[in-house]
Amino acid sequence: MIEESNFVRRHWFHDLLSQPFYGRNAASIRQRILFLLIGNCVLLGFIYARSIQTEGVSFLSEVALIPVALAPVVIAGLGLTGIIYAGGIDLSISTIIVVAGTVFGILFHNQASPAVCFAGCFLTAVALSSFNGLLVRLLRISPIIVTLAGLQFYRGLALILADWSIPNFGGSLTVQADAYQTPAQQYAWQILAVTVVVSLIWEAYGKTHRKFLALGCSREACRIAGLHPDRITQTSYTVGGLFLGIAALLFVTNQQVIEPARMAQGFELKVIAAVVLGGTNIFGGEGSMLGTVLGALFLYLIEPAMIYAGVSEYYRTAIPGFMIVAVISIDCALHRRQKLLDELR
Amino acid sequence: MRFISQIASNQRVNRLLLVLAVELFLFAPVCGVQFSSFGAFQSSFASLISDLLAQAAPMIVLSVGMTLVLMTGGIDLSIGAMVALIAAVMARIDVDYALWSTAVPIGLLCGLALGFFNGTLIARLDVPPIIATLGTLFLFRGFCEILLEGQEYGQFLDVPSYRWFGTPSGGLLLVGVILGLGGLWFSFSRVRRELLMLGGNRVAARYAGIPVFRRIVQVYTLMGGLAFVAAVCLTARNGSVSASSFSGMELQVIVAVVLGGTRVEGGNGSLVGSAIGVLMIAVLAEGLRGASMFHSDLLPFKIQYLEYVLMGGLLIWGVWMNRQVGGQDASH
Repeated sequence: MIEESNFVRRHWFHDLLSQPFYGRNAASIRQRILFLLIGNCVLLGFIYARSIQTEGVSFLSEVALIPVALAPVVIAGLGLTGIIYAGGIDLSISTIIVVAGTVFGILFHNQASPAVCFAGCFLTAVALSSFNGLLVRLLRISPIIVTLAGLQFYRGLALILADWSIPNFGGSLTVQADAYQTPAQQYAWQILAVTVVVSLIWEAYGKTHRKFLALGCSREACRIAGLHPDRITQTSYTVGGLFLGIAALLFVTNQQVIEPARMAQGFELKVIAAVVLGGTNIFGGEGSMLGTVLGALFLYLIEPAMIYAGVSEYYRTAIPGFMIVAVISIDCALHRRQKLLDELR
Repeated sequence: MRFISQIASNQRVNRLLLVLAVELFLFAPVCGVQFSSFGAFQSSFASLISDLLAQAAPMIVLSVGMTLVLMTGGIDLSIGAMVALIAAVMARIDVDYALWSTAVPIGLLCGLALGFFNGTLIARLDVPPIIATLGTLFLFRGFCEILLEGQEYGQFLDVPSYRWFGTPSGGLLLVGVILGLGGLWFSFSRVRRELLMLGGNRVAARYAGIPVFRRIVQVYTLMGGLAFVAAVCLTARNGSVSASSFSGMELQVIVAVVLGGTRVEGGNGSLVGSAIGVLMIAVLAEGLRGASMFHSDLLPFKIQYLEYVLMGGLLIWGVWMNRQVGGQDASH
């Protein structure tokens, strides 16, 4: 009878949606997702309430602005979540985007067709992220260091590429042609929605991310169970690269001017903040992609909410920073006692 | 003298010194050092060295703190923002007549408080260091923006005695006091062994009776204090501060420290190595600057772009070298 009760079919909502996307997570992550859901609703409600009071602003036009600005962070965040699941990290995502953008600019300069430019941008990001994975795997150096080096290296690479292949390179490449900016200007909504839905379903029902989580929990256990830790590490970076490629495409095509020396500075910190705010454990083995999406949305929504609340524009960085510190430190403080006891056991 | 003989017998430090010497030898002609006569060589070489010292002094000061932080298994990504915030606080106080009596003590207090805040988050609330300092990076930058309101403040150079800290001799004094005296005390003190043990195995350190959390708070507070010293050095040289100044500095310092043989996983570290790491990077940057000025047509692209590539390459190479020396356990 007991065995039977394990296989009782509950409501389809529980079996197909609630359990795989929400219920399977650890309690701390479930709390975080709930917090972010409520927080996002509160922020959206606030923006709605203020926008109907304000003349000449509609709530829908405010919402329509979200995907263009948010898509690169969310999509890069989904890729990075997979990498962090597996116990790795990638600090070099911003400069990988810079190299991808530079390749895009160079192809544009040589009058390649839009499709070729997009493919070049995407493939560059995939290749460099896979290369990061290869280095982590072959050199056996901690991923923070490898990608910290990558953060420097790739920016130099982008500058050298641009300077080498474009005569009279003055520090920036101008891309002013509508055909070359369709992904970000016209299809940002669709690309964002499809990527998020596909990756959430992949995470809930697929096997890949469970292997990442297993590797993040214990490398040794992974090896004993017959999995290949190195291969999983490599896969996590390559899969992360696929997401990063899409993010790079959306980031680059949203800009008229590509400046390899200054583009995307601090982007990696934004993405990591979104991932961490979403409840993913920075040391791997625990987390959820739903949390990452909600975390990125939360960090984004704070900004228009502040504008509507009449906060001075100089508080733009401090308030999200304060939110990150407050949410995470309260969360850590609540679990501190248990963690210290576990440590001494 | 045991200190000196210890350093001299340390293989890793010797190897780093050798690399530094080779680097200096390779880059010296490019940086404008003349070999025509002994007198010319002496004066041009001295000017190169003093240039390097003035540039590297704030980084060496920061690298001392970062070495200690990495020793305990932590990391501090917020130092660039911290330096900028301290400079911003000092700039907002009317510098003209009250720099030494108000701005400097308040800056020091501010640095210690910011470091203490980081340390409290990490030790008392148990936030992972990389996340805590990432959050405070945003927070401190945000405070900078609030304080400076998008303007650039630059009245530091109005005070003549303050400017001295940006000169090579001022930098040398600060580095001498902090690295020489502080490092000498530290290398003999019990705190060093405690920090190393804490970074190697926190649980074991707790069982051994080391006040783990207090030590961690102290280390981050010290980092804040050193960020103040670096802020003095940098503002005395640059003369101004804006909300986005000194960004990316944390990565440069971490690269230098790791290059000097400190492991990011904790439980290992050398102050002298870190200082040599900073100097190696400074020599590299200076060499590339010289090369791009005097030999700009050597390569088909601008030579200063090579700095990023070489920094990344050096970092990987340095860690790889440490790993070979450290044995097989270094990777996990």
